Parts: sequence; structure tokens; C-alpha cells
Amino acid sequence: MELTEAQIELVSAYIKQNGVAQDELHDDLLDHVCTSIELRIQQGESFDEAFQYTIKLFGPGGLKQVQLETFELLTEMNETMKKLTFGFGLTSTFLLLAGTIFKLMHWPFASILITLGTGLLVLGYLPMILTHKLKESPRDEALLHITGFLGLTLTSIGVLFKVMHWPGAAVTLLGGMGILSFGYVPIYFFKRYKVSANKPVTLSSSIVATACLILIFALMKTGNSSWYEHGVLLTDETLTEELHRMSDSNDALYASMRSSNLSEMKSEADKLVTHIDALKLELMSWAANVPPNEATKISLSDLEKKHDMAVVHDLLLGADDQLREGLFSATELKGMMDHYRNTVLGEYPSELRSAMSSGLALRTDGTFRNAHGQEQDWIHHQFEYTPLFTAITNLTKWQLDIRQMENQVLLSKISRPEASNPPS
Amino acid sequence: MYSPELIKGTLQTIVLSLLSENERMYGYEITQHVKDRTQGEIQLTEGALYPTLHKLEADGLLTTEKVSIGKRVRKYYRLTENGNKQANDKVNEFRRFSETMNDLLNSFTPNPELSWLS
Repeated sequence: MELTEAQIELVSAYIKQNGVAQDELHDDLLDHVCTSIELRIQQGESFDEAFQYTIKLFGPGGLKQVQLETFELLTEMNETMKKLTFGFGLTSTFLLLAGTIFKLMHWPFASILITLGTGLLVLGYLPMILTHKLKESPRDEALLHITGFLGLTLTSIGVLFKVMHWPGAAVTLLGGMGILSFGYVPIYFFKRYKVSANKPVTLSSSIVATACLILIFALMKTGNSSWYEHGVLLTDETLTEELHRMSDSNDALYASMRSSNLSEMKSEADKLVTHIDALKLELMSWAANVPPNEATKISLSDLEKKHDMAVVHDLLLGADDQLREGLFSATELKGMMDHYRNTVLGEYPSELRSAMSSGLALRTDGTFRNAHGQEQDWIHHQFEYTPLFTAITNLTKWQLDIRQMENQVLLSKISRPEASNPPS
Repeated sequence: MYSPELIKGTLQTIVLSLLSENERMYGYEITQHVKDRTQGEIQLTEGALYPTLHKLEADGLLTTEKVSIGKRVRKYYRLTENGNKQANDKVNEFRRFSETMNDLLNSFTPNPELSWLS
């Protein structure tokens, strides 16, 4: 005997009411229950009896349980996806770890390793986790996973840009962490706290996540180490004052000397000091992305990129691996400084020169040790990994050196007039 | 009756082998078949079959065919080519497994010293 339309409707409504939302499964279960009822009615039971009996077989919450199990079986990651996700995760972790170590040790290929690692993380691992999470968890949690994915992706890209000194790092990083702290963490908290069996654990993990984000924010802020920076900028001001005083003093000394054949030294000193001024302006204009004549109005302490190392590196050494030459290159600066130093040395009696040379400022020969104990030549030591504000302060210091060297020569000529005619 | 854990691990094998004997079957029919053939020793929880059927369909081992019965739809399941192959593999694998288990458990005798425990 076949069930009536109304009876089928009743069974269908019951199945839906008990949490079976998926159509295919609903059809299966409807047919199953109806067939069972029909068979029992044939054996003499009433519809109600047969219906009650069949439903009881499912047990309490049994219908919903069927849907849940179906869902679990269908969304289970298959073996290939599991392996792929695991592979992406492991490889990018390995690349990032190796890249970080290489970077710390200043070994080659660090940048390539870090870029590849982040690329794999952002294009491989995170999307796979997102698709799995979206499939596996209920619809209303989609926003949680999407904010988490976006936040992590932007943060990773931001860190990569920051490490590589690429433009836009700060904005990306801030965007990523903003999404995490104002999107992911609150949504996580509200979604999970409501349904959480162990509320203290949910609460504390939300607090820990927030605390971590605040810590990273704080680290970013202190990463700029404002007090240290302030100190360096003060030093630059002091050096600049000193430089002006020394220039004035030298001008007075030149004037007091009746006859002076120091015009070569003077013109070279002036030229070098002016060149370094122009170089500083060029650095500022690169960092602020304005033409050099506008860069004069910018104060170093207001410049957003004042800790940027790439500007210094790219202008003085060149953006590619090949050492740059030509205007405002480190090579050019070194050449000019060496030439001036030799001119100054030439003003001293020849028997004094070798003794003078070791103590005289602006030494650019020999090797220098960096913070990691590696030996470097002067050019790389001064400009390879130097924040802009440090480079500018160093340049001011050399300007002062130039004037001081000039001053020493002037004083020696005045105290030993016979020395004003160096032996030829 | 066997424990649900044992049945759970073999449900796919049971469904595949039943469908390779019968060209097409619907859900309730499969449940009844299993019950009848095993004299009630393997009794599936009501509805426990459907998650497995849907999973096998998603994996491409089964196809469905919908037939209207009055106001409702009946879905017949049948093996695909790949499903047929899988059915053979699964059945053979399980045969070997049960032989191995037989060999392993043949020598088993309850330890009399521990019998007071039970």
C-alpha cells in the first residue's frame, strides 16, 4: 500500500525539522522511512504506529547524526590534499627558517629563500587551509576563516616586504594585523565563546592572541627605537653646528694669512663639503620621493623613511649586485675623499707624512669589521646596511673631518711659517 | 551482533560487494539485505548507511538513478566501472585480512589465571 501525499508531507516535514537540511540526504531518508512504514502497514499496523516505530529506530538526534556523519565523510581531506598541504607547510617553514638564519649570518641567497618561503605560504599553504576550513565548518563561520586568511596573508606579505626593504611594507603589515586584531580575534571570541564548553580556555586564548598582537605592535613601534633615533639626530645637529664653527674658524685663518698657497686644498675642501651636502640632499629626495630642490625643506626627523636602508644602499652602491659608479656613488665619494686626504698630507713635510697618515681622518683603505665580525671594505661597511639617518650623520661627521683637517694644516702653517713652503 | 567499531571499518566493503551482486539497489533495500543475509548478526543503525553511500558517490565509485514513486523520489545506487574494480579489491583485501586474523587467533586460548577477572 502506498502512502498518501499528506502522509509523505508529514514524514518529510519531520525529517527537515530534525535537522536534515541537505536535499539529497533528505530524499534518501524520506524514501527509507516511507518504505519502512509501508511494509509495517502491510503487516497490519496503523500509519501512526509504523511511523513512531521507524523513527524510534534512529534514536534521539539520530537523523541529524546521519547528516553530520555524511558531512564529515564528504569534507574529509583526501590523501593527496593532506600530503600537499603538509608539503607546502613543511617546505615554506623550512625555507623561512633557513632564510632567516642566512639573513642573520649575512650569507648569500637569504632573500631568495625568504621570498620563496613566503610565496609558498601565501599561495600554497594558506589557501589550502582556507578552502578546507570553509568546506569543513558551518556557513556562519566563513567570515572567521576569511578574516583569518586575509590577515595572515597580508601580515606575511608585509613581513616579506619589510625584510626586503620593498615599498609598501608598513601599510601591508598594518592592514594585515588590523584585520587580525579587529576582525579575526573579535569574531573568534564571539563565535567560540557562545558555544564553548570550556569558557575559561576560550577566554584566555582570545586574551593571549590579543596580547600577542599588541606585543607585535609595540615591537614595531620600538623597532623604530625612537629614543635611539632621537639621539642620533641630536648628534647630527651637534656635528652640523661644529661644522659651521670650524668653517668660520678656517675662513678667519685663511684671512689672517698674508700669503697662502693653500688654494688647492681650500678649493678641494669646499668642493668636497658641497658635494656631500648635495649627496645628503639627493638621499633625502630619494627617501621622500620629491625633487632635490624640494628636499631642502624636509627635516630628517619628519621623514617616514628615515630608517630605510634600501635608499642608502641603492643610491650609493646601486640597486643590483654590481657596484654603481658615477654621480653620488660611494665609489665617487671614496675617490674624492682619498684625493683630498692626499692633498692634505701633501701639505705636511714628507718626513711627517707616514706618521700623520695613520691618525688622519677619512681613512678609506683597509678592512672594517661589521657588527657580525665580518671583514668588509669601506664602501660596504659604510653603506650596505645603514639606516638613512645614520648615513646622513656619518656624512656630516666627514664634512666636519674635512674642515678639521683643513684647520690642522692652517694652524701648522701659522705656527711654523717655514712649513708653508713644502719641500718639493 | 558485532560491535559498531567492527562494522564501521567494513561498511564500504559490504556496500560495494552487495552492489556488485545486484545491479542496482536503494538504501532501505541494502539495509534489509544486510540484515537478512547475516541473520541479524550485522545490523546497521538506522540511517548509518547513507553517509557511506554519499561518500562512495562523491568518490566516483557509485552513480545514482532517481525514480519517482508517487510523491517521493527513490534513489537507486549502482557501481561505476571504477567502483566495480574497487569492490573486487576491497573484497579480496578483506578475505586476506580475515584469513590473517584466523591464523593469528587460532592459537588463542583464554588465560585461566586471569579468568577470575571477568
